[in-house]
Amino acid sequence: MAPEQSPPGPPGVRIRGLTVVYRTPAGELPAVSGVDLDLAPGTITGVVGESGSGKSTLALSLLNAVQPPGRIAAGSVEIDGLGDVVALGGEGLRRARGRHVGYVFQAAQNSLNPLKTVGKQVLDLGRSHGVEDPRGLLADARDLLGRMGLDGARVLDSYQHELSGGMRQRVGIMLALVLNARLVVLDEPTTALDMITQATILRIVREVHAERGLTTLVITHDLGVVAEVADRLAVMYGGRVAEQGPTREVLAGPRHPYTRGLLGAIPRLVGDIGEARALPGRPPTLADIPADGCVFRERCPLRMDVCETGSPPVVTRGSRSAACHAVRDGDGDRPAVAAATGEDQA
Amino acid sequence: MAVLLRRLAGHVARGFVMILVVTTISFLIIRSVPGDPLAARYQKLVEQGMAPDAAQRAVEVLYGFTPKGSLWEQYLDYMGGLARLDLGQSLSVPGADVSTVLFSAAKWTVIPVLAGTLLSFLVGVVMGVYAAIKRTGVLGDLLAISGSLLHGVPQYVLALLLGAIFTTLIPVLPAGGTADIVIDPGFTPDYIGSLVQHATLPVVTYALAGYGGWILAMKSSVVTVLGDDFILAAELRGMKRSIIFRYVARNAILPLFTILALSLGLLFGGAIFIERIFNYPGLGLMLIDSINNRDYSLMGGAFLLITTAVVVANIAADLLYTVIDPRVRSGGEAA
Repeated sequence: MAPEQSPPGPPGVRIRGLTVVYRTPAGELPAVSGVDLDLAPGTITGVVGESGSGKSTLALSLLNAVQPPGRIAAGSVEIDGLGDVVALGGEGLRRARGRHVGYVFQAAQNSLNPLKTVGKQVLDLGRSHGVEDPRGLLADARDLLGRMGLDGARVLDSYQHELSGGMRQRVGIMLALVLNARLVVLDEPTTALDMITQATILRIVREVHAERGLTTLVITHDLGVVAEVADRLAVMYGGRVAEQGPTREVLAGPRHPYTRGLLGAIPRLVGDIGEARALPGRPPTLADIPADGCVFRERCPLRMDVCETGSPPVVTRGSRSAACHAVRDGDGDRPAVAAATGEDQA
Repeated sequence: MAVLLRRLAGHVARGFVMILVVTTISFLIIRSVPGDPLAARYQKLVEQGMAPDAAQRAVEVLYGFTPKGSLWEQYLDYMGGLARLDLGQSLSVPGADVSTVLFSAAKWTVIPVLAGTLLSFLVGVVMGVYAAIKRTGVLGDLLAISGSLLHGVPQYVLALLLGAIFTTLIPVLPAGGTADIVIDPGFTPDYIGSLVQHATLPVVTYALAGYGGWILAMKSSVVTVLGDDFILAAELRGMKRSIIFRYVARNAILPLFTILALSLGLLFGGAIFIERIFNYPGLGLMLIDSINNRDYSLMGGAFLLITTAVVVANIAADLLYTVIDPRVRSGGEAA
């Protein structure tokens, strides 16, 4: 194996026109359609969406690992130092996984072989990627675990069932990083963890991201997680990016009615609990994503005639963009939305 | 190691109680079967014109003992004998210990059953993995169908079919016995060849009868494991296919070890049909003969052996788990 050529800085990622379809009895249905998304080198990007919004499928696409019956039907995922992942296959793709792109599973998922100790699985990983110094790899693993506040030696000697959810999550992060991957995808990193552990994991994600110079993608349904860690935020709905931009700006002044609805649904610590308003309706499933027009129109307070027929154009302003017919005219629509959601509740 | 020993001790104690209970029940059942071979022999001698006293003595000499005392006393006597590993005297083979008769028959059952089961286990498990991996293709379908078919056919039907085909239609294999009587027993190629030839049909029957179950069990187990998160996780970490295959195989085969151990224990019972059909002088055939001859002590010994085999197989399966499954290991620590 050739000595690995570590790219000088964290890699950037450019997703263009990504469309992922799933084969169903009703034909091939898109779970992700025409997504454009950039991960700037060295940043943390958060992708937020409800179940079925296509966010996990998007995450798997970064490793060209969409599971059958799904497949990437169109688009490209350019990763610095790797090229277009969609074009990769076979051994090349296998080597890229783990080595260039680290993937961290949801904590609730059992991402470890229950019959082997963590240390043995680190060695398996090393063997798979032609690591010539297994001891060094184990030492790296131990250091990483130590860095995340665990007793590295003990954890390496443990089986999965001997670890708590928070410990498993840290082991997952260790396995994603131990081969020095500079691009890391975290799928629901805090789901199924208690509040304290959530906070710990998020702190670790931030710190490790900064220390190792990573490009990080965090997939979550929790706006709080994104607010906590992400530099940039992309809101997904029905397989499309509804809105994206710098986290602070988007959260402070959401443009897309869906983002507003999401923010409006969060109960506040202070003030009337009744101020939190759930979005009416349900997110579309694969089968009932509308083929034409805006995917959000069924639940949208700003629904117009044009939403029935035309896909909303992506309106980019500065570093932010939103895909909505109503946003086209500028920011003057904010009061209108507030009024609309107000009526909705009444 | 301490966990292992503690588990072993618990199992041995439980197994001992189990054997005790089964022995008692089989003692009672056997004694309630009508017919008394000693009385029958006595009757026969008297009918042949022997004086009752002389006939009584002749029977005593022939069998070396006469049963006396109440059922309860006989039971205590029997259990006392068992405690000293004395299974008593055989009635149908006068003058022979039950244990001698049992062990001379046992080798004709244990070796073929073991060979047949292990053969079907190996082939079935490998084919099961293929059936699972190729489950969307024609090969996978064919394998699964072959498994279902063979699993559905009763053992004795298989035995009859194989016997009819290979001893009558295409007479390439012998129909009964363990070896040609004309060949002198010994470590000669001729004798061993004859042994193998005679054992082929029983072993193949055991193997075919087991194969269907293994392939189906392994297939469903592999399919389950393939859907587990950690397999996808291993793929996304870029693990080599060979390593992922080992992950799948080791996790999928775990539940099959219980079935393997149990089936090894139970096959001693299943051997009855096969040995009857192939006239193979193992435990099954011996058990049938002993029942026909009302040979109480031999029957009791056979039941005891079958029970012990099942209990031991269970213990072995559980200990095996302790060794190969870390979750069971620490479960023992917690308990």
